[in-house]
Amino acid sequence: MGFFIASIQIPPAVTDFRYFSYRRMARFSNQQIVRELKEGDRLGCRHLVDLYQERLLGEATRVFRVPRLDAEELVSDVLLAVINKINTFEFKRSDGDFHYWLMTIFRNRVRDFMRHRAQTDGLWENFDEAALEDDETYSATEREVVRSILRNYEESLGSPEENEGSAKSSARGALEVIAEVLDQLETWERVLLRCRALEIPYEDIARYTGKTAKQLKVYHARVKKKFLNLLGRQTPKVQ
Amino acid sequence: MNTKRDTIDLLLQVAFLEGKITTHGLYEQTVLKRKPLVRSADAVKAALSQRLEAALLSNRSKATSPLTLGAFLRRLREHQSLRPQDVISRTGISSNIYKMLEHDRISPLKISLKSWKAMRQFFQIPLDALEDMIRRTHQLVFFRASFRTTLARYDTRKNKKMKAATLEKAAEELFVRATLPLPQKEQEKLNAFLKALAEEKA
Repeated sequence: MGFFIASIQIPPAVTDFRYFSYRRMARFSNQQIVRELKEGDRLGCRHLVDLYQERLLGEATRVFRVPRLDAEELVSDVLLAVINKINTFEFKRSDGDFHYWLMTIFRNRVRDFMRHRAQTDGLWENFDEAALEDDETYSATEREVVRSILRNYEESLGSPEENEGSAKSSARGALEVIAEVLDQLETWERVLLRCRALEIPYEDIARYTGKTAKQLKVYHARVKKKFLNLLGRQTPKVQ
Repeated sequence: MNTKRDTIDLLLQVAFLEGKITTHGLYEQTVLKRKPLVRSADAVKAALSQRLEAALLSNRSKATSPLTLGAFLRRLREHQSLRPQDVISRTGISSNIYKMLEHDRISPLKISLKSWKAMRQFFQIPLDALEDMIRRTHQLVFFRASFRTTLARYDTRKNKKMKAATLEKAAEELFVRATLPLPQKEQEKLNAFLKALAEEKA
């Protein structure tokens, strides 16, 4: 009998700790994670990683096109910042507050990465232009408008060694024209452009614009053209 | 990098990151709803978890580690927006001694009872809190030299500045973790000093 019990092998999937932690994860709220982290419970770190690591990695690589290795470093920086600043965080309205707080940290880190890339390699140089050449979506003049804004942005940032404070304000100034041109569009067009740039699904945008997802898909390219036209008229401001 | 990327999208993304345009929380909501498309190796996740746990522990020990006199005096002075000169002129302690005290470079036992009385009155420090800090700081100052000697044997850094900083940090960490008893003679000296300090109050 003893031999029989000893020879029974429990399947690895059941003994694997990750299996249990994953099952538990599905029931974890942000409030629980915050409580665990504030109490110094190590489990909170695992839950944070399980909930956010792949999610943020996906956003960084897929939406903002950060190279995989840089993205991994960026995500670990974000989560480390969460751990270091957790005591300053407080829920004010709902469980989602933590997510928005974390996303703000993420956005700031991606922005810093973009700034660094703009200062060193240049944003345009990292852009996969070949895809556009085949498309013939934009004319050379239209492309030049975008290029000049990006160049302005890069120049306003200066070199990495320069004063960071002044770089930030002038960088924002270089992008002023985008906000101005967007304001000239209709509300639904504005929403469509902003949201699709961040790959928000058409179905979600449709809820806010009063147009169907199918219509939005059709209009997207046209709205982009319109935006570029308006941007072209504002170019003297940029240069 | 394989998928097509539009210049307009890049431009709008930069504007979004720089805070020039907003999606009024729609992007953040979408992130929650989207299934993570990128898979990460379990080893990478485990390494990150470990890194976070270490940071969490270090934050916790920083928050719970008892204060030394130097750290306490510095924080209190900064909290009251005072300069070291203000404290020196009001308490009559020499500037060198006060600076050493703020950096835990001198044993509190080396400072006269009269000066301690002035300090306590100036900062309004309760006696029991002061006693605790005096014990801790005396222990730190007493053991610091031996920590440094021990650690120096293990340290291979050539850069002198880096070496000093590493040793300093390590010594402090050791002090926080260790509860080393003082030698009997030193303990007696400390007790006598604290007794005298308490009597000074009366």
